Amino acid sequence: MPVLELRHVTKRFGGLTAVDDVTFGVEEGELLGIAGPNGSGKSTLFNVVTGIPFGASSGEILFDGKPITRMVSHRIARLGLARTFQKDAEYPDLTAKETIALAAIYGRGLNRRAAAEAAETQLEAAGIGCARAGMLTTALSVYERKQLMIASALVMQPKVLMLDEPASGLTRPEIAALNAHLVKINKGGVTILLIEHVLSLLLSLAERLIVLNQGAVLAEGDPQEVIRDERVIEAYLGGRSA
Amino acid sequence: MDWKLAAGLGVLLILPFFVTDSYTRHLFILAFVYAILASNWDLSLGYAGLFNFGHIAFFATGVYTAAIAAKTLGVSPMLTIPLGGATAALTALIVAAPVARLKGIYVVLVTFAFSQVLLQLILSQSHITGGAEGMVRIPALQIGDYKFIRDFKFGYYYVALGLLVLSTFYLLWLTRSPFGKSLLALRDNEEYAGARGISIMRARVLALVASAIFPGMAGSFFAIYLRVASPEVLGFGTLSLVLSMVLIGGIATITGPIFAAFAIFFATETLAGTRGMEEFRFIIVAVAMILVLRFAPGGLARILQVFQFKKNRVL
Ligand SMILES: Nc1ncnc2c1ncn2[C@@H]1O[C@H](COP(=O)(O)OP(=O)(O)O)[C@@H](O)[C@H]1O
Ligand SMILES: [Mg+2]
Repeated sequence: MPVLELRHVTKRFGGLTAVDDVTFGVEEGELLGIAGPNGSGKSTLFNVVTGIPFGASSGEILFDGKPITRMVSHRIARLGLARTFQKDAEYPDLTAKETIALAAIYGRGLNRRAAAEAAETQLEAAGIGCARAGMLTTALSVYERKQLMIASALVMQPKVLMLDEPASGLTRPEIAALNAHLVKINKGGVTILLIEHVLSLLLSLAERLIVLNQGAVLAEGDPQEVIRDERVIEAYLGGRSA
Repeated sequence: MDWKLAAGLGVLLILPFFVTDSYTRHLFILAFVYAILASNWDLSLGYAGLFNFGHIAFFATGVYTAAIAAKTLGVSPMLTIPLGGATAALTALIVAAPVARLKGIYVVLVTFAFSQVLLQLILSQSHITGGAEGMVRIPALQIGDYKFIRDFKFGYYYVALGLLVLSTFYLLWLTRSPFGKSLLALRDNEEYAGARGISIMRARVLALVASAIFPGMAGSFFAIYLRVASPEVLGFGTLSLVLSMVLIGGIATITGPIFAAFAIFFATETLAGTRGMEEFRFIIVAVAMILVLRFAPGGLARILQVFQFKKNRVL
């Protein structure tokens, strides 16, 4: 049984259909890549699944076999479906450690002390040292902020982790480090959905690739085969020249 | 506790031994009440980011709770203080129901409308509330034979100061707790906070209720102390004065609005006693508010922080 399942999911904004009748399942432990030109509906798909900030116009979403289509976002998160955001998300008045501890308390129900310990473990895994952990998140580097967003998701011990372009804005060595980090997370049993523009990262990590175009699934399957698909090439080139 | 708070508390604790005239003590008692109102408003406005313009309704709830309970129902005046906290919390729960789902300007409209509804209710139910005339000769505070008004309001001074101290510890504890941090998280990035398990509705309801308890108790104290309850407390004058204290003091700091409450209250009282300034004083407060918002949007508390930061760096 898939851990996450989308059935005919559609999201409309007035006349625009940003997600168009999308159906697919994600198996437990899988690392699924999601690609598509700019504006093809990738982020909107994540938004609809996690209920942030809106749900689907129609269709059904099942997590662990249970419908979450109309569920509020914080409940979805507590069930074990965590996500990151494409644009940097942070709380300007909180430190890195507070940011993670808060997720441990509210997303996983830990008490204050256990949350502080869990936060330290995650900070270490994310490579954010003690001195930086006590700084306001706005003082951290781009890479640290990206890692922090992932760490605050992981501290909730999610079953499924949805990452929206985690490599954007990172340098090559940072992308390599991120690559290794994601492999480790996935090996640790966390199912991953990865939206990524950096194709090399996507191809090195994804076991299966879904390509969206204008909100609909254009191609799906083995990553190496999918990127050679003519329709996919055309969608990317067409998207770029438009 | 930081040294400025400790020093302030120390001074206020011994003050009645040096300031013995009952009028000055009276001014301090009112300043304590304003400080409670301003700092608790900071919880919903500054921390939760809720544009709650019904804050004074919590205070008014306390005022009328004490008036009706003590005068009409014969409840001991001392007991009406916690009672006012409870009814104000209940009032907050009622206003929170619609507010939890709204944003920005709609929160302003609903909360302000709510306080106007409360005002209309007080005016129309004159057999209970005394209507526009309000209620007078509310029983005063007394334990055994000791009347709190004795010795130039000695007792009242300490009850009011006690309420302010309790309220301040409560607010500092709350805003430094995970709940306080979750309010900041929601205020600054609602979507991120939601994705990390924080319930927006629950946090907003709790923030409103938590910000109503001490204003309610202060309202009850106010009625028992002045021995009157008047619908005037719900007027725009009180609201804008307390708002200026929060904004000039610096939102999301708790202590900023407390210091500003003292500064602004004593400034307006001094101006009120200065010939030709009686009508002018609110304009001065308004101008001060605009200047602070324009040149130091963090308020006085942030100015002090920046100053301290620089000082530390030099050393
Ligand atoms: N909240 C919104 N309101 C209106 N249109 C939106 C909204 N969010 C996304 N869109 C539109 O939906 C389409 C898909 O956007 P998005 O999901 O961000 O694409 P991608 O992440 O693949 O680049 C775009 O045309 C975008 O303008
Ligand atoms: Mg996107």
